Amino acid sequence: MFRTFCISFSLKNTYRVNTILFSLKQIPLLKRLLPEALYQSRGLKKFALILSVFWEVAGALAGKALYLFCMVFWPLLLYGGKGHPELYCHMFFFLTLIGAYMNTYMFNPTNDKYYAMILMGMDARQYTLSNYWYQLIRSAAAFLPFLILTGSLAGIPLWPCFLSPLLILAVKLSGAWYFLRRYEKTGSCSNENLPSRTFWILTAVFLGAAYVLPAFGICLPISVYTAAVFISLIPGVRAAVKISGFRHYREMYQILLAEKRTGMDVRQTVRKAVAEQSLGNISRAAGTGTNRSGFAGFHDLFVKRHKKILWKSVKRLTAVLLAGTAALLAAVLSSPRLAPAIRSLLLEQFPYIAFLMYLLNRGTVFTQALFMNCDHSMLTYSFYKRPACILELFRLRLLEIIRLNLMPAAVLAAGLPLLLWMSGGTENFFYYILYPASILAMSIFFSVHYLTLYYLLQPYTASTELKSGTYKLAVWATYLVCFLLLQFQVPALLFGILSLVFSLVYSGIACILVYRMAGRTFRLRS
Amino acid sequence: MEFVVEHLKKQFEQKKVLKDINFVFQSGKIYGLLGRNGAGKTTLFNCLNRDLKADGGRFFLRSGEEEREAAAEEIGYVLSVPAVPEFLTGREFLKFFMEINRDRIEEPKSQDEYFDMVFIEEEDRDKLLKDYSHGMKNKMQMLIQIIAKPKILLLDEPLTSLDVVAAEEMKQLLRTQKEDRILIFSTHILELALDLCDEIVILNQGTLEAINRENLDQGGLKDRIIEMLREDGHV
Repeated sequence: MFRTFCISFSLKNTYRVNTILFSLKQIPLLKRLLPEALYQSRGLKKFALILSVFWEVAGALAGKALYLFCMVFWPLLLYGGKGHPELYCHMFFFLTLIGAYMNTYMFNPTNDKYYAMILMGMDARQYTLSNYWYQLIRSAAAFLPFLILTGSLAGIPLWPCFLSPLLILAVKLSGAWYFLRRYEKTGSCSNENLPSRTFWILTAVFLGAAYVLPAFGICLPISVYTAAVFISLIPGVRAAVKISGFRHYREMYQILLAEKRTGMDVRQTVRKAVAEQSLGNISRAAGTGTNRSGFAGFHDLFVKRHKKILWKSVKRLTAVLLAGTAALLAAVLSSPRLAPAIRSLLLEQFPYIAFLMYLLNRGTVFTQALFMNCDHSMLTYSFYKRPACILELFRLRLLEIIRLNLMPAAVLAAGLPLLLWMSGGTENFFYYILYPASILAMSIFFSVHYLTLYYLLQPYTASTELKSGTYKLAVWATYLVCFLLLQFQVPALLFGILSLVFSLVYSGIACILVYRMAGRTFRLRS
Repeated sequence: MEFVVEHLKKQFEQKKVLKDINFVFQSGKIYGLLGRNGAGKTTLFNCLNRDLKADGGRFFLRSGEEEREAAAEEIGYVLSVPAVPEFLTGREFLKFFMEINRDRIEEPKSQDEYFDMVFIEEEDRDKLLKDYSHGMKNKMQMLIQIIAKPKILLLDEPLTSLDVVAAEEMKQLLRTQKEDRILIFSTHILELALDLCDEIVILNQGTLEAINRENLDQGGLKDRIIEMLREDGHV
């Protein structure tokens, strides 16, 4: 069994190393420096192996740390539960129960299992058991230091922290045995990533028990938690024995991994799913037609047939913003204490609006729909690549995306100055002009920005694969800049003026660049 | 008219896919382009269609003494996976195409006449293209190229995955389109190339080579082609 484990571990490590090398090759500047015979380079492979081992250890530790801090420690602080071990244990207990069926490892149909058991014909029982024990021990060992850390930060004694890994082991083993027994009885085995409705309901119940019950003062006493840990060991040990003796792993994985036979290429599967989803967005309501001709008609029909993803979602978003603004106005009117807080937020935290505008803009959705359902096919026709045609469509599309983004922006442009006025206002009347002007300008900026990126960097191949590293970098940089703006404490007036000027200048330059270069850049990537 | 390719080169990192392509394609002929997997057929098409920048060499149209670069609309490219705007109906696609290119279409016909040419039934003409079968999409793609009448038509395995009836219809259609044009047809199916094409060209080790059909019967030609393809190490 140990030999099987070593081979499987080495196999997993090999493709993890190759994945790291492949990822390095995708970085725009680095890919030029790396040799072509990347996978033959011993030095690079050693470097990737170190990264891989680091990933194995750090990945396990970081995952558990994040889980405990986000799911237990932070809610504990929200409840002001420092020094209350029962609250810590209460939440941990119910969350661990969810892990019993949502995170079994055994019923996760991963590629490494398919490679090892189905493609390479490794002994399924030996492979499953050795890897299963390894995963369980790895999980419990990675949890322990962070249980102690979060426990001591929360001011609870050490002994419940040492007990908790036992609960994890017992509950996971019992969960896995439940599914194995169900397979024995019914012949069906389920993918843990696709839980049935019953398990979703159960998850909601356990989450409710973990986080809502304490709000009503209901919490498992520490003695009950301790008893539950010890009691869980009985089915846990029994499950461990049964799991070790189970004989039908090969047959079970044949069913569980069946879908891998047709969908091993993850990127291809994702592309196919995206393409199917995109086609699903095309709707043809009765009588949908156009009176326009040429590109105007072509574009008109594109928009009409994609109303669902383009306009419906924007209208929904606008309605939510309207309701939100109305609720804030009502809150300001009904609660005089809230008014100064909102007023100061609006006057001092204007960069937040830039980030909000970034979140609201529909640039990515629009350009993705354009490519998947239109340009992807049309760019294969030479008439469509004539510069005059490209620019004519760019103009029509730019107007459309600006219209799309302006609808929710208009609500903010009207609502926020009103909110400022209702919450006490300011004597400087300039705010009431600058606020809407810069919001509308930012909306136009995001519209122009995404469409320009699409036309100048057209990132997709004919097989709808996103291939441009520069495009990915530009999209990521847009997010980063908007996010970093949140950290700046800039007076609203100054930020408003700067954003207004920048948006207008950028939009002008971007349009000039598209008109000069899109004839060469807007084509399918090879 | 001739389509001349001179010293065309393309490499990806150290791998030279097109080493030195030299060929003169004659108007009025269908050329069957054969090559093993990975030989560079699609790369050659992508370079000729200017979707991919070649590392060296040139290609141009020659009429008598006059040489000139082929304009973008003079080269048509039909992909193996049919590419049509799925959000339009067949009729709408045809209508917009005709409106956009009204100054370029010679002797325009009615939409229904065009549909008849490629055997698309009346009840299918007003369906969304996303609901068309693979073969029907392929016919629509071909129809656009027939109307656009590019001087050079590159066809990347267009009959693969068509049923026998649709494939036969497409073959007939292609035969009618070769007058005053050059059709370059890439395929893996040797019988299809021999049946449809006037000339067979082999892409082997980064170079193009015509097969001399003279003094060879069908069987001898097949053996000669396979022998040439075997010399290439690709699989």
